[in-house]
Amino acid sequence: MSTNQIKVDALVVGGGISGMQTALDLGDQGYKVAVVERKSSIGGKMIDLSKVFPTLDCCSCITTPKMSATAHHDNITLLTYSEIESINRDGNGFKVQATKKPRYVREDDCTGCRSCELVCPLEVSEDEHEFGRTSHRVVYVPFSTAVPQKALVDLDHCLFCGKCIQACPSDAIDFTQQPEPVEIETRSIVLATGFETTPINAKKEYGAGKLRNVISGMMMERLLAPTGPYGRVLRPSDGKMPASIAYVQCAGSRDQTLGVPYCSRVCCMYAIKQAMLLSGALPLAEITIYYMDIRTFGKGYEQFYQNAKAMGVEFLKGKVARITEDENQNPIVRVELIDEFGKTRVTERQHDLVVLSVGLLPGGNPQPKFGVPVGEDGFVQVPDYNVFPAVTSQPGIFVTGAAAGPMDIVDSIMMAGAAASSAASYLEAGNGSRKEAQRQPERSVEYA
Amino acid sequence: MTTNEEKKKRTEMLVEMRKERRETVQRAQELLKAQQSARKALERALTGGPHSVPQLAQAVNMPAHEALWHIAAMKKYGIVAEAGTDESGDYYLYRLVKEA
Repeated sequence: MSTNQIKVDALVVGGGISGMQTALDLGDQGYKVAVVERKSSIGGKMIDLSKVFPTLDCCSCITTPKMSATAHHDNITLLTYSEIESINRDGNGFKVQATKKPRYVREDDCTGCRSCELVCPLEVSEDEHEFGRTSHRVVYVPFSTAVPQKALVDLDHCLFCGKCIQACPSDAIDFTQQPEPVEIETRSIVLATGFETTPINAKKEYGAGKLRNVISGMMMERLLAPTGPYGRVLRPSDGKMPASIAYVQCAGSRDQTLGVPYCSRVCCMYAIKQAMLLSGALPLAEITIYYMDIRTFGKGYEQFYQNAKAMGVEFLKGKVARITEDENQNPIVRVELIDEFGKTRVTERQHDLVVLSVGLLPGGNPQPKFGVPVGEDGFVQVPDYNVFPAVTSQPGIFVTGAAAGPMDIVDSIMMAGAAASSAASYLEAGNGSRKEAQRQPERSVEYA
Repeated sequence: MTTNEEKKKRTEMLVEMRKERRETVQRAQELLKAQQSARKALERALTGGPHSVPQLAQAVNMPAHEALWHIAAMKKYGIVAEAGTDESGDYYLYRLVKEA
């Protein structure tokens, strides 16, 4: 099998918001960039979110144009559904071996018309974006704004009935596809591997993931998004519109028992944002946030918190000890409440739906492949964070977004600028396997 | 245009794939059978008029969360649509689209 070869100035690992922004910033400066994304579409976590805080702008409206700009940029090569296998230093640059996983659909031929999906007889749980709350067919386009808008086949559930082959107008289905090796020669690397969230089953005190009406903050994002599994905020046990919703803060951060002693920085704000959105979606619902401290550190964040209080969201200081459920699957929260005088009282309160404000964990460990050290928290270590926030200890390897530590969208986009700038300075100094920087003329692109 | 020769080749390839992945295909067939049976039961219940998820669950003797999963999937693929709420206002009702 022939190996595809790509020669670029920068390789961005991860196609979330920070990776895309880094690629766009470098591409706009004339550098050749490759973006490698392990999932079938770029967009990262942000494309699954409902709205951003504190402006309440639509996430999809911000992310989709950036996804499109990344895919159509003259200087950016996009490799989705691909994994990095190994990295070797080659002079001052790197030789990277990647594998493009088979979609069993030829990308060049697929038009994303979904004719195959509509005739496929079998549905399986949609776990990647919808937490198993709805289905997708065995051959499917991942979601309506996926980039690239190409189908893929879940071969582990395929009946090989051939209906998709008959339905495809461009003859794109190909069950004989094999993993495809790709060799990338690059002068620099930017890690944008993002984050994962604390698993919903991490804490047995909170039901260990077995209580149907105890969900994660990310799942609530999907319920609030118009493209979500129900198109409404319904509770998963029986489809009831919840009249009482509670948030449990620090349900996966600042918790030594989970090995996550740090603050995840975004949970307070996403809980407040969701509470405000729920007030709009379910005007009669009572919304309670159980918190230890509310941390509103960013521009406009404190005002956002005050607005939520003024809208009637109930903020109760106290640590939730346990969550159980009654015979109707209503979650019961046992909490030690602390009043303004510091007096405590243990109480139990029933809600229709409980949201765990789960924390942020590293999206992967880049140390074995990239040789970049990680800190005690598992995020990429940055030796001189105050001065060079995107520069790792490995020459030519940079980091951006939540790969470096928990951060929100605003900071991830800002850090993408820093990573692109650091990488450009590195390249401009003549570093990399090619002796002279082969810059393309600068171009102006409007993408947002 | 697909020639007869190409069609024959494809059929042979599919037969070969089914042989190679016998266990996967068998598992998928069982899943399909269960899914089709559940969908038929839900559709039958819905021919009697709009139902909420708990009503459907009771009608077809299925856990409510499973009924919700099927309804979400059927809504996604245009088989059912919302039809207002029940008397309590707590649950949405769903109807078959082809009946509309």
